[in-house]
Amino acid sequence: MRVPGALDGRVADAGAAARPRALGTRRRALVWVMVRLTGLLLSVLVLGHFALTHILTDVANTGSSFVARRWGSGVWLAWDWLMLAAALAHGTAGIWVAIEDYTPSPAARRRRQWALLALAAVLFVLGSVTIARVILG
Amino acid sequence: MTLVQALFVVALIAVLLAVIGFATVVVAGAARGGAGSFVTPALLGRMVRSPAERAEVDRWAFYAHRISGFAVFAFLALHVCDVGLYGLSHRLYDQVHQLYGTAPLRLFECGLLFGILFHTLNGLRILAIDLADLRVVTARRLLAGAFALTVVLALLGSVVILRPVLG
Repeated sequence: MRVPGALDGRVADAGAAARPRALGTRRRALVWVMVRLTGLLLSVLVLGHFALTHILTDVANTGSSFVARRWGSGVWLAWDWLMLAAALAHGTAGIWVAIEDYTPSPAARRRRQWALLALAAVLFVLGSVTIARVILG
Repeated sequence: MTLVQALFVVALIAVLLAVIGFATVVVAGAARGGAGSFVTPALLGRMVRSPAERAEVDRWAFYAHRISGFAVFAFLALHVCDVGLYGLSHRLYDQVHQLYGTAPLRLFECGLLFGILFHTLNGLRILAIDLADLRVVTARRLLAGAFALTVVLALLGSVVILRPVLG
């Protein structure tokens, strides 16, 4: 992994112009904190979700009637939406760094990172719409 | 098999292929980076003999964290879509949901549980290292604990998940 701020553009070198501008130190620090906070949140939300739908309830009994019953409660709607938002933020930040590590070409890197953001945005909208439709009835 | 069921199976295979592909990139990158050796019987032997060699384990914990995180994210992408079917039509949702109760999908869920547990427990370990400024030896003990707890909890969970199809 790259040291935060190491490629802030203060050092003039031949490749600097071709490289996409690295995130600033401050923004990197904020993402770092976000990954830790969402991670802590997800350790409760995801394990709780998995325990409920796979361990306490057999997965064969989690059909639409189970979902309807569970989403009858505002707590579970909030739980699921928070889990969706936290997981997408956490996962996007993680894969963002993985793309930086494994994509030397700046153009390909930008393409992949945009694709990642697009995928996360689509999933966020899809999941939010699904939950919003339940709330609005 | 209905159309949505077929689509789900194709998407699930795509998820699995993506995870295998990503894992290959990570492991190949590990070798190319020259940051250390692969997990070989010789390395494992050295690690058992000498605690100083166990720094290698930290590196492989990093790769395992990355691969398990990618795997969970890849499944999340599919899962948001299949739950999204609920908003479209309860009948379509139930058709895909039927697949979740089959033996292959239950096996997949066991793998998912392994991934989630390792990523969670190792993630909490990383948080503890950052917050409490733990020593290397303590961090490594926590890694062994996280790994052991992952195996124990995932095996127990797998028994519960697989019991209905084992009869």
